[in-house]
Amino acid sequence: METLNPGKPSTPSLLKTHFLKSPPFVNSTIKLKPQFHTLYNRRTLSLTITCKLKSSQEVKNKDKNVSRKILLSDSAPPVLEKSGSGNGVVPEKAAGGGGGGGPLVFVKRLPRRVLSVLSNLPLAIGEMFAIAGLMALGTVIDQGEAPDFYFQKYPEENPVLGFFTWRWILALGFDHMFSSPVFLGMLALLGTSLMACTYTTQIPLVKVARRWNFLHSAEAIRKQEFSDNLPRASIQDLGVILMGAGYEVFLKGPSLYAFKGLASRFAPIGVHLAMLLIMAGGTLSAAGSFRGSVTVPQGLNFVVGDVLGPTGFLSTPTEAFNTEVHVNRFYMDYYDSGEVSQFHTDLSLLDFDGKEVLRKTISVNNPLRYGGITIYQTDWSFSALQISKNDEGPFNLAMAPLKVNGDKKLFGTFLPVGDLNSPNVKGISMLARDLQSIVLYDQEGKFVGVRRPNSKLPIEIDGTRIVIEDAIGSSGLQLKTDPGVPVVYAGFGALMLTTCISYLSHSQIWALQDGTAVVVGGKTNRAKAVFEDEVNRLLDHVPELVESSSLSKQSDMISG
Amino acid sequence: MIFSTLEHILTHISFSVVSIVITIHLITLLVDEFVELYDSSEKGMITTFFCITGLLVIRWIFLGHLPLSDLYESLIFLSWAFSIIHMVPYFKKHKNFLSAITAPSTFFTQGFATSGLLTDMHQSEILVPALQSQWLMMHVSMMILGYAALLCGSLFSVAFLVITFRKIIRIVDKSNNLLNDSFFFSEIQYMAERKNVLRNISFLSSRNYYRFQLIQQLDDWGCRIISIGFIFLTIGILSGAVWANEAWGSYWNWDPKETWAFITWTIFAIFFHIRTNKKLEGFNSAIVASIGFLLIWICYFGVNLLGIGLHSYGSFTLTISI
Repeated sequence: METLNPGKPSTPSLLKTHFLKSPPFVNSTIKLKPQFHTLYNRRTLSLTITCKLKSSQEVKNKDKNVSRKILLSDSAPPVLEKSGSGNGVVPEKAAGGGGGGGPLVFVKRLPRRVLSVLSNLPLAIGEMFAIAGLMALGTVIDQGEAPDFYFQKYPEENPVLGFFTWRWILALGFDHMFSSPVFLGMLALLGTSLMACTYTTQIPLVKVARRWNFLHSAEAIRKQEFSDNLPRASIQDLGVILMGAGYEVFLKGPSLYAFKGLASRFAPIGVHLAMLLIMAGGTLSAAGSFRGSVTVPQGLNFVVGDVLGPTGFLSTPTEAFNTEVHVNRFYMDYYDSGEVSQFHTDLSLLDFDGKEVLRKTISVNNPLRYGGITIYQTDWSFSALQISKNDEGPFNLAMAPLKVNGDKKLFGTFLPVGDLNSPNVKGISMLARDLQSIVLYDQEGKFVGVRRPNSKLPIEIDGTRIVIEDAIGSSGLQLKTDPGVPVVYAGFGALMLTTCISYLSHSQIWALQDGTAVVVGGKTNRAKAVFEDEVNRLLDHVPELVESSSLSKQSDMISG
Repeated sequence: MIFSTLEHILTHISFSVVSIVITIHLITLLVDEFVELYDSSEKGMITTFFCITGLLVIRWIFLGHLPLSDLYESLIFLSWAFSIIHMVPYFKKHKNFLSAITAPSTFFTQGFATSGLLTDMHQSEILVPALQSQWLMMHVSMMILGYAALLCGSLFSVAFLVITFRKIIRIVDKSNNLLNDSFFFSEIQYMAERKNVLRNISFLSSRNYYRFQLIQQLDDWGCRIISIGFIFLTIGILSGAVWANEAWGSYWNWDPKETWAFITWTIFAIFFHIRTNKKLEGFNSAIVASIGFLLIWICYFGVNLLGIGLHSYGSFTLTISI
């Protein structure tokens, strides 16, 4: 988002008139050396114009900062580009520049106005600040609670910061910040800003950067961010040294132009496009997904379509939704300390005819993917305890989750003992934290012992012999389909790549043989100090010419 | 047993060496620069680097997973990242003031990691199921490298601000007529002032010129380091998103830590956008980077301190949900 200042018509319109007359050749990049001579004169024409403009502008802005100069040299080409891209644009632009009225022109100019407003840098920065602020607010305010919660936490009698009450939160939808219209609207605005900026500012800037142009006056070169004067040196030697340092060098007569790292100019466009791609993917995800979660006891089935619910208007079910999922087994791995190390669920996918199409053991970080559906292991629960009582059974006792403070799960069940019809039934309580060990308490509530399932070790409680046969867990599965993932991933890849490329700097060097001396100037868009060091080092390597050889060089040049 | 002894030895060596390095730095600040002292401080930082590397490697071998699963380990990794940033210019033979930022940072992070605050976390925790992934290495290492680089870069910006403010105050004292009250809020006037300083160079003391040079260098280096940190942060966030799509069921959950990482990312994106505008460059971008400095700490510590969201693995109270 470099500042090209589209809302500043004064100087570009001046330029426009010049360039409109010239044929569109100026825009094309010339790589063939023989063509130089034919194009030489025309090129100088355009260049002198830019130079003139610079100086006139400098007179105007003498008290403003130095960077103006660079801005201006950049601002010429978009117009150039317009005139070169097709004749259809020209009349419209001319009318715009001339200020000619008429409703048609206004309609045509309106999108341009909107574009220039949207691509305004301070606006974009403001949008980013607003989004950052809203996100921060979204983490401060508890999300997704019932209105009662906000009534109590943000009461009207005692507003936060003197004005912020629950009315604000509920009116603006800040109880679900990340899907609230305010937040989504800001994101959409930022998206349009991204597009506008890429279109009106970045692409023209790259076009400027791609045009390699020579500077023909020593003064212009000295005005660059970095400049130096090499007495008794030859521009050819400088060219060879720059080439050795990885620069693309163009040499024509007494002028030299070299650049390096042009990709750095493209990268910001790539970053913006990648962001747009991610936004588009995110929108697709939000509008076209199915989600659902289910807790299935080991050994039972469910149909995918029953679990999944659409999230947006674009969600359309697919053939794969008829798939039936059978939980063959749910089990956990444990560390030596007894902590859970991993959860596993052995799943079979059955098609409409009941034929197995896929079997996989999933675990956390290892989901199952089939036909666009992804099945995640996200939760677990204790379904039932299989026991035998006095060698009868086995019976299945349903385990109930018990609410205790803390995040650890606790399940319990109760085996009545004695007269079931008495109003005061007593029995054996069994508690479990995981599927590994069951803690048993007697009728009085006293601790009796701990048994492991499958250990076959009986335990005697008040004359009742209990064997814990098995612990049946149920697997908490999360299912989803998300058509946006490929798009988002493409955006991620592009974003990583282009951010890395953005680190490079686009460095340009101009040089001019001025008698026996060489005037060198250069600029770069990123690492300024490194660039200066590098150029200084390179210039140190330029050999100083002895009188005679420099003379011969001069004669070479004249003959060439 | 050998493991914990070795770990103890290495932690203590690294911390004491960093302390010595800091002392040397202070001495070179107060007294004129001794070349030998400077060299010895550099050697000290290299020793620290190898100690911390050894510490991490030993922990890795002993635990069987990359030591990045809780706050203590990530702090050690952070100080390791600081020492890497410290070493890079040293090998490039660039003697600069980077060490003045990185050495104290290493000192503080290492000091905090080894201080009593986190003693109960020194025992290596087991890895909860959600962390058992190859992405752990990628995501956490990238995030912490990013934090380290961004912290360094934004400290440069803080230094930039401090020096600029001091300079401005000095100029205000010298020539009150040049400035009106709204000076600090008007960047154009600020730019004019900067030009004014430039013009003054010739007849003011060379000291002023060096200060200007220093500011320029701070600005430039700060931006470069923030760029590197931004790349790491981007890769870290994105790899985290890919990981979340494997483990949690969605690539973006608006989890508090995620959100704060994204806020940090946005702030540094703003930083770069301000820098593209030549008018706003310098002063304003430095302010934004200083905000970024605070945000990184909120993102790194604050969210974990609150213990909210899905990223609560390495926090002070270890919660084990699936």
